[in-house]
Amino acid sequence: MDNSMGDTRKPLDGKAEIGPITARSNEAMGTSRIAIRDLDFFYGANKALKSITLGIPEKQVTGMIGPSGCGKSTLLRVLNRMYDLYSGQRAIGEVLMDGKNIIASDVDVNQLRSRIGMVFQKPTPFPMSIYDNVAFGVKLHERLSKSDMDERVEWSLTRAALWDEVKDRLGASAAGISGGQQQRLCIARTIATRPDVILLDEPTSALDPISTLKIEELIDELKHEFTIVIVTHNMQQAARCADQVAFFFIGELIEVGAAAQMFTSPRQKRTQEYITGRFG
Amino acid sequence: MASDAAEHIVKSFEGDLKRLSALLTEMGGLVESEVAAACQSVLSRDTEAATLAVETDPKVDALERDVEQFVIRLLALRQPVAQDLRVIVASLKITGDLERIGDYAANVAKRSLVLNQFSLPFSLTGLSNMSRLVQENLKTVIDAVGEGDAGKAVEVWRSDENIDEIYNALFRELITYMMEDPRNITPCTHLLFIAKNLERIGDHATNVAETVYYAAKGEPLTGSRPKGDTSAYALVRSPRDD
Repeated sequence: MDNSMGDTRKPLDGKAEIGPITARSNEAMGTSRIAIRDLDFFYGANKALKSITLGIPEKQVTGMIGPSGCGKSTLLRVLNRMYDLYSGQRAIGEVLMDGKNIIASDVDVNQLRSRIGMVFQKPTPFPMSIYDNVAFGVKLHERLSKSDMDERVEWSLTRAALWDEVKDRLGASAAGISGGQQQRLCIARTIATRPDVILLDEPTSALDPISTLKIEELIDELKHEFTIVIVTHNMQQAARCADQVAFFFIGELIEVGAAAQMFTSPRQKRTQEYITGRFG
Repeated sequence: MASDAAEHIVKSFEGDLKRLSALLTEMGGLVESEVAAACQSVLSRDTEAATLAVETDPKVDALERDVEQFVIRLLALRQPVAQDLRVIVASLKITGDLERIGDYAANVAKRSLVLNQFSLPFSLTGLSNMSRLVQENLKTVIDAVGEGDAGKAVEVWRSDENIDEIYNALFRELITYMMEDPRNITPCTHLLFIAKNLERIGDHATNVAETVYYAAKGEPLTGSRPKGDTSAYALVRSPRDD
């Protein structure tokens, strides 16, 4: 994080960092920023996640793969409490960040979402200027002077690799830039609140190959400052972007390991069959 | 290289993998017959067998190029991962080893043509044993390639030591014949090279074994393989030195 900028946020909890956890096989992946332990998730009576234990290593990219309905997007939705918006959906277990269970009912969800940002499949710019798109989320959580806000917008757009392309038209409508630029704008908007964790839900599935590569390059840059979790249906993308890869199947975490190991010598037969295209 | 996995969803990819396996099997069979012909050319003083071995080698070389091109195509178009990736990369390595084995066999056959012009005052029992072991290992390892059988690969990997032992004994034996009678020097030198070629064939067979094991298991065949060729340090003293 850039310490030159005034941080007016309150920490979620003042407790010390949690140590490395022992998840199925990712205990060697470094300190976990988020530690998921025995997490169950229900859509009504339907159990969509079954006893998930997984560490999300700090300042690394965790890729989640698996067939549709395997629970990977559900897990992403749990991490920033998106499911709170719907009745009948509930999570049981622990999702520890800074020693605090973030799925507990006493957690300030708005504050949580400023620390765990999310970018969706389709670019979702607000119907306002490029500048305001980035400033919008910051205003909800912080009071910054005009010059501090200008600085924050530039900081965010620079990190999202978009500054050079839009710096001369910050007042223009966000609807007028390309899809790839819009997605980078959404990433800029997400990092503007200076979160610890960025969740990416199939961030390039609506983009052309070059825009996709730009996002992937961006992910590579961002992981120096942020912990990143990416859900993707594109196996090659997981191989290219992720440090560790987790494979889910029907609500279960089947295998997690370093990307190189997962794509050369997966340990589980189901992982092998899925990633080589032999499922079913 | 066979894989025990279920069928690929994309049938044409499954077809590609089968074609790759068929190419390697064809190449393996050709190399096996080339080595057999080369051994026969020496042990039975069979000029026809020598010609056959020499003529087979370009076919082996052509198959190597086919496998190489096919592997590059598969890597570019299919972006294989996991066992598919291991099998495809293993095929590329194996085709290189088989091509070298073919070269050594051709060299043995060429030397036999010279050797057959000499009458040999000693038996070729040692060389015969060595050629039998080398051919056994080659056959087993080529079966292992076709079946993706890590067990057979380990078997070959372990038994290469026996070949090395015979080679060391032969080395000393042939030097002794040369010391006994300078007229033996020409045929014995050719026999030394022939034995060395067979020993190298055995080494390439163990390379193939290691590759098959990795493709099947996803981890390297570890542990130190007994390296038995000590001829580099062998010293055979002439009786006159004593």
